[in-house]
Amino acid sequence: MSNDSPDGRDTAGRFMKQAAEKAHQLHTVSDDGMHPMAKILFGWTETKHIGAIMFWGLGVFGAGLIILDLVVNRHDYFTFANSTGFYGLYGFACFTFVVLMGWPLGNLLRRNENYYGDAGGPPADVDPDLPETPDLPSHPDYEGDE
Amino acid sequence: MSAMLAALNPGWLLIFVGVVAMFLPARRIRQSLAIGAPLVGILMLALADQNVNHLTASVLGLDLVLYRVDGLSFVFGLAFLIAALLNAIYAWHTDDRIQDGMALAYGGAAIAAAFCGDLMTLFVFWEITAVTSVFMVLGAGTRASYFASMRYLGMQILSGVLLLAGIAYVYHDTGDIGLQVFEDLAQPGAMLIFIAFGIKAAFPFLHNWLQDSYSKASVVGAVVLSAFTTKLAVYAFARMFPGQDSLIWIGAIMTCFPVFFAVIENDLRKVLAYSTNNQIGFMICAIGVGTPLAMNGAVAHAFADIMFKGLLFMSMGAVLYRTGTTKASELGGLFRSMPWTTLFCLVGALSISAMPLFSAFVTKSMILSAVAHAGLPIIWLMLMFASAGVLEHSGIKIPYFAFFGHDSGKRVKEAPFNMLLAMGMAAFISIAIGIPALIPGLGYEWLYNLLPYRQEAMTYQPFTFDHVLTQMQLLVLATFAFVLLKRFNIYPPEKRGEILDTDWAYRRVGFSMANWAGTVWGKVGPAMTSVFFKLSSRAYDRIEATFSPRGELARGGLTGAMAVWTAALLGLVLLLAFISVR
Repeated sequence: MSNDSPDGRDTAGRFMKQAAEKAHQLHTVSDDGMHPMAKILFGWTETKHIGAIMFWGLGVFGAGLIILDLVVNRHDYFTFANSTGFYGLYGFACFTFVVLMGWPLGNLLRRNENYYGDAGGPPADVDPDLPETPDLPSHPDYEGDE
Repeated sequence: MSAMLAALNPGWLLIFVGVVAMFLPARRIRQSLAIGAPLVGILMLALADQNVNHLTASVLGLDLVLYRVDGLSFVFGLAFLIAALLNAIYAWHTDDRIQDGMALAYGGAAIAAAFCGDLMTLFVFWEITAVTSVFMVLGAGTRASYFASMRYLGMQILSGVLLLAGIAYVYHDTGDIGLQVFEDLAQPGAMLIFIAFGIKAAFPFLHNWLQDSYSKASVVGAVVLSAFTTKLAVYAFARMFPGQDSLIWIGAIMTCFPVFFAVIENDLRKVLAYSTNNQIGFMICAIGVGTPLAMNGAVAHAFADIMFKGLLFMSMGAVLYRTGTTKASELGGLFRSMPWTTLFCLVGALSISAMPLFSAFVTKSMILSAVAHAGLPIIWLMLMFASAGVLEHSGIKIPYFAFFGHDSGKRVKEAPFNMLLAMGMAAFISIAIGIPALIPGLGYEWLYNLLPYRQEAMTYQPFTFDHVLTQMQLLVLATFAFVLLKRFNIYPPEKRGEILDTDWAYRRVGFSMANWAGTVWGKVGPAMTSVFFKLSSRAYDRIEATFSPRGELARGGLTGAMAVWTAALLGLVLLLAFISVR
């Protein structure tokens, strides 16, 4: 066997080269700005009907957990917590209440972004390559300014 | 050598190295020191015997205990040291001498405070944390951060002053400045110390320094801030106010109210600050319950929180670093360009939501069990409510609006490797302490082994079928609620804006009143001065016109009027003297 086979042709060499290429691909961002790891880890979030799948999947899973509660005899410290599906229904109710309270509270408490007169740009230690953010006022008013 | 290492407070080492690092222009040497110091500190802590006064001093008749380790302080000290290490790794890409040095000294001060054995030493390091931490906010370099840092410093110093006043009372009453358990809040000393701790723990109505400063701090600064100050206050409460009934309600309220603010807040670092309030509420409530199970829960949850909250702040820091914003309304879809950051953020989100196999599941369940065992159904329901709330803002909102949801179109680079490494380490710890002890002594048992009431901790079983089932019910159904609300478009949209909170009282009303007082003084002051001058000059003129050599009396009709007047006045004085002596 000759030693002067072209690069990437002999078995070990090809393996190394392929591995290196693969590793390189794994952090080469594609033209659309998609990180290759993003496809592997979270590509599934962009599949079709993912919203419906999540909705029905979680619904069925949640219902299953409550049905499981019928079968299992739990021993909670409080009697009310022993009732079937208490945790699930309480969690659902609390979550919904908190989120829906966001509507009136938002209307009540939200003010202009510069309400205190201190709206401004990002801190000094952000990425130096960061392009200037155009949507920020170039000369914001600060509290204490005349 | 090892004896010397074991006798030195590791916090002092960090403060010393931090101060030295501030003057080191060689960036990599400085940063290596910042990473090396916590590592040596962990070694020092491992070598130190527990329940022994390693270093004492007597100053001005006060007996100071400068280094003492016990079951309670060990966990906090260890968590602070790990946090200091992660922070130093997270800051590797920066080149900021003051921030590097002050971050290390800040961590060191918190560690030194946790390992001291008397109130006076606690006060000294309490103040050093205030002064060093303000540089984390100032480091952002914006004018908004400058104003925020001054407000922050004001609150922190106020806490220190109250603490000192409380110590003075306690010393006056008992002649003892050792760390002690205060049972009666009616004593002014105990009350002052309670409020001083309450400010740093961000009690309701005293909490806004946290949202104000953390959201305006530098990228690295917010991560550093998230670890120390509030958790040092939790330690101080656990040390001096265990079983204090009022803490139960304060803690429970602390878990609930931030949930509502976090839902409508647009700045995700502010959301995390509210989430900090919420998590500290769990710890404070448990300290109020005060049973061994509750205390274990509080301490374990503090340890877990330092890791996962640090992790969440790191992930938001990475987003801020690459995109220049953490506003939910401007983010979304970042998983495409920052998948590793997304993954670590999700680990943090699952940890804080107390998902089985993640850290808060094994720590928060202790607190909930302790509250149930204490027979406090309303408090228990409040904590359960807050658990659903924390899932909403930290478990779902943060990762969803930053990394998924509506695609903002931002295509940025993945976070720098050092940031990913620090996040990876925090994520590893968050998972490692949350999994079952497949190998005895590891998994959650590793953390339980460190807790102050070790035996009680080792008998507690977090992974019972009931626990897992009920927690899964809560999380799955609450997540289902999110999907449902999103699907039917009734989830409130993220809008830009400033959310009013109790800081409105001093940032708006107080500031306006101070401004008004200034304006009024600016006008009234000169007016008062001119009136005074007018009156005094008129009086002078009158006196001069009467008594001067050219005055009325000098040239009056009667010759020698001065002599007559003098005689009359002398007579009057004599008469007065006569009356008063008689």
